[in-house]
Amino acid sequence: MFEHDDDIVERMIRQLRRPVSLDPGLAARVMGEIAAPAHPGKKRTWPWLAAAAAAVLGAVVIAHPWTRGSTTSTDAFQFVLMAPQAASVSLVGDFNDWDPARAPMQTAHGVWATVVPLAPGRYRYAFLVNGVEWRADPAAPNAIDDEFGTPSSVVTVAGRGS
Amino acid sequence: MILVALLLATQVVVQDPRLERLDPETRSSVVAIVDSARGMRLPSEPLVQRALEGATKGAGAPRIVAAVRRLATDLGTVRTALGEGASTPELEAAVAALRAGASTHVLTNLRTARRGPLTMALSVLADLVASGVPADSAAAAVLALAPNARDADLVDFRRAVERDISLGAPPGASAAVRALNTGVRDATATADGQPPPRPPRRP
Repeated sequence: MFEHDDDIVERMIRQLRRPVSLDPGLAARVMGEIAAPAHPGKKRTWPWLAAAAAAVLGAVVIAHPWTRGSTTSTDAFQFVLMAPQAASVSLVGDFNDWDPARAPMQTAHGVWATVVPLAPGRYRYAFLVNGVEWRADPAAPNAIDDEFGTPSSVVTVAGRGS
Repeated sequence: MILVALLLATQVVVQDPRLERLDPETRSSVVAIVDSARGMRLPSEPLVQRALEGATKGAGAPRIVAAVRRLATDLGTVRTALGEGASTPELEAAVAALRAGASTHVLTNLRTARRGPLTMALSVLADLVASGVPADSAAAAVLALAPNARDADLVDFRRAVERDISLGAPPGASAAVRALNTGVRDATATADGQPPPRPPRRP
């Protein structure tokens, strides 16, 4: 019985030791498949381009802080100044980059007014009369930290429901 | 490639077109301060706005740069007092309160006392001081109101104190008395439950 088992084991060992004949071009084909892109010029490039585009988009969105309030709700605020002698009045402040050209006010019998949508936050602003004279808003708190030698006012906009 | 993209985006930040209104010398100094602030994760928009305010008001380079630098420093101070989660409006209002005379301790206590955004509470504190209320009295009044008053209540409180002052009342006493009398009002709503249409508000 034991001799029979030994024969079987001996035959298995011989079979395992017998050299296997392979196609001589198999190795070259396998290596070629590994080296070549699955879909030349497409699949390998797009993930990198997509990642780069996402990085640029994300960085630019983060890097453009002047979009303050663009994604939040706004309240309409009316600003009024009595200036019967004025030829022009502009409202300038943190909400329009302190650009007089962006917020000219309309007048009716010397009462200058404009309405500006404001997102929640605290804004400094002032009226520019005739392009040269700075005036604070008499109807609003004064900015206590005026560092440029001209008066400014502040308006604070609360969030909805607060 | 991602690194190149990020570098390009950074260049976009440096070239914020609004800062072209500054002269080159001022612009380079302001950009350096803004970049430094951004590196500390402080908001850059208030700094840009302060620089633009100075430019529009015709201030010289040293004055603009000093104002922007001081603001950056104060933003860092109040951010420490309020915590990393403080929003940009909260930080701006906190700087105003700090400059009005509120201590960083008051800012921290306010954060603890009030749930939700602190922007209005901090602004009211600063505005009261601007109206003549001593800083300690303004801080005490706002801290007393902070836990329960709505933002609208705080605005009404500020207006009431300003009215008292214009009629000749001592500012500190007015703030103390009005703080005792300021309560929470019912929400305004029409019979059908819809909020009434809102006309433009006033500062």
